[in-house]
Amino acid sequence: MMLGNLTREIRFLARDRGALFWLALALILSVVAVSFGVAEVRDQRDTIATLVEEDAADRANALEGQEEWGSAAYYAFHLTYAPPSEFAFAAMGQRDSSPWKHRVRMLALEGQIHEADTKNADFGLVGRFDFAFLAASVAPLLLILLLYDLRASERTARRHDLLVATAGASWQLWFPRAFVRMIMLTLLLLLPLWIGALMEGTALSAIGQASFVLVGALLIWWLIVELVSRINASPSILLTSLIGLWLALAIVVPALSKAAIEANNPVPDGGEILLLQRETVNDAWDLPKEATMTPFVEEYPEWREYATIEGPWAWKWYYAFQQVGDQTVAPLVGQYRQARLSRDRQAGLLALLSPTSFVERAFEKLAGTDAAAMIAYEDAVRDFHAELRAFHYPMLIKEEPFDPNVLQRLPAYVPSATGD
Amino acid sequence: MTSPLEARSLSLNREGNNVLDGVSFTVAEGEIFALLGGNGAGKSTTLLAFLGFLEPLEGEVLVNGTSVHGDVASARSAIAYLPEAAALYGHMTAYENLDYFLHLAGKPASRDGLDAALDRVALPEEARSRRLQSYSKGMRQKTAIALALLRETPIMLLDEPTSGLDPVAIDEFHDLVKTLAQGGQTILMVTHDVYGACQVADRVGLLRHGQLVGSFSAGNGKRIDTETVHAAFAEREVA
Ligand SMILES: Nc1ncnc2c1ncn2[C@@H]1O[C@H](COP(=O)(O)OP(=O)(O)OP(=O)(O)O)[C@@H](O)[C@H]1O
Ligand SMILES: [Mg+2]
Repeated sequence: MMLGNLTREIRFLARDRGALFWLALALILSVVAVSFGVAEVRDQRDTIATLVEEDAADRANALEGQEEWGSAAYYAFHLTYAPPSEFAFAAMGQRDSSPWKHRVRMLALEGQIHEADTKNADFGLVGRFDFAFLAASVAPLLLILLLYDLRASERTARRHDLLVATAGASWQLWFPRAFVRMIMLTLLLLLPLWIGALMEGTALSAIGQASFVLVGALLIWWLIVELVSRINASPSILLTSLIGLWLALAIVVPALSKAAIEANNPVPDGGEILLLQRETVNDAWDLPKEATMTPFVEEYPEWREYATIEGPWAWKWYYAFQQVGDQTVAPLVGQYRQARLSRDRQAGLLALLSPTSFVERAFEKLAGTDAAAMIAYEDAVRDFHAELRAFHYPMLIKEEPFDPNVLQRLPAYVPSATGD
Repeated sequence: MTSPLEARSLSLNREGNNVLDGVSFTVAEGEIFALLGGNGAGKSTTLLAFLGFLEPLEGEVLVNGTSVHGDVASARSAIAYLPEAAALYGHMTAYENLDYFLHLAGKPASRDGLDAALDRVALPEEARSRRLQSYSKGMRQKTAIALALLRETPIMLLDEPTSGLDPVAIDEFHDLVKTLAQGGQTILMVTHDVYGACQVADRVGLLRHGQLVGSFSAGNGKRIDTETVHAAFAEREVA
């Protein structure tokens, strides 16, 4: 019985040019979003591959002929990066606004991390056109266009009573009719995503969860359309109401939530961190050496006996004030990190108010492109930088004789697996 | 014996206006009952009540002895409904329309079955594979009548079935309805056409401002007298 209902409505849909148009549009948009995403991700991987290749050569070049630990550390840059996950093509998320690659050296780190903040790409209110955006914002609109006037158009055509009288029960008609449209829309949106996932080697669990989230969100939107379109009003009034609801849930609520969260959790500017650190480091030149060395050994008591600087210049003093530069901005950095995390937490709660935000966040989480993933990458850079310091400090601070062979054992940055 | 169709003191409001006021009648199995009345008298409303689209304010409507309100689905499955100015799908052919609606009723028919019904309403063969948007009004009406035939239900509710039909087609339609009634189908039709109603119906009811104000039966093998009904109709309308 149900199957008969479905085949009947599939054949009916096949003759409905309006519906076919929206479905074709869904497929095209999905293909475009997935292609853009895959191209972008591959582009980023190429960029990383090129940088990785250059990285070792550049460093070897920089270290060539160095005769001091200090200058070797000064000139050697190290590439750090967060490679896009196998699902990042579907949701670029914070990768568009947070840096995912750096070239760091032994100098004060926080400034190097946040320098990149100042040249963020800005995609404005709507963000990048990736699959997550399509699924979260555009798909509901397509669903509305497919479903809003199922009943109303039949009423206007004076066919409603005949249809319902013939079907016997109203649901025998409207449920399969809407269901077929819903299923077709979902499939046409998901098909390119699945192909993209195959190309990218996305884990089955990630793609499964993403599909589940999309279906769930569309079911919620279906429910909304269903409730609204039961109102005995003209198609244009229904459409206006539904577009209004869509605007509210997909655009206004997320924007207001974002504004409220940002107002509620002031985040120090990355530029502020950069500036404070620069000032600290620059000022250190004019301060008595103890002003640098005292806070330094507070952090590293093990170097206390080497902390007296004689003479006007020493590399260890130079690196100590780099270190102190980081220590000075540490509270600000902690604040910045905490504020971003609590923004993210609150955004997670408020996302329950808007299926659009919910879908976007779920996709970014699966893609490893959410705020947490970007902060985790920054933390990985900090860890790596700490390794660099741990490697260099013994030679620098004890002022051991220079041995270029030791530099062969410089720590190498290894990106953590993303997307989990 | 229960009647296939019965209205018991049916009163009904539409958007606050009293549209039917204490209407009672029965239609027996194999009987053709024509409900006559002017515009806005409540004829179409009566049919919609039998289909369970409108709830009685007072009284009730029964299909095969069961209150429609209690079991809408079985009432509807017993009834083929030809709406006023039936609009089938313009972007589909006659075959496709019939096929769709018959599937919707859970009672699909073969192509031969469709052709047989379309033959009975004399829809030209060449038109059957054309989209309905290219049809004349009468051709569309014929297609809708064919749909009602194909439902093969014990009861038919026909709202202005002859509107848009030419005189020849009207005569053919009347013959068709009589044949159906002889085959046992119960027919309640609604019309303004006094002459037509008297030609075809076993009984004519006169509806005015939501009240059944007259009833005329054929008897002794004679048709209902058109003059009498027309006089009653006209008098009531003027009053
Ligand atoms: N959809 C509707 N909503 C509210 N009132 C309606 C509606 N349709 C009809 N009515 C009112 O119900 C009353 C009876 O209308 P109905 O359609 O039953 O008349 P009718 O006898 O079929 O007339 P006609 O010969 O013009 O088809 C009228 O007063 C009309 O204004
Ligand atoms: Mg009417």
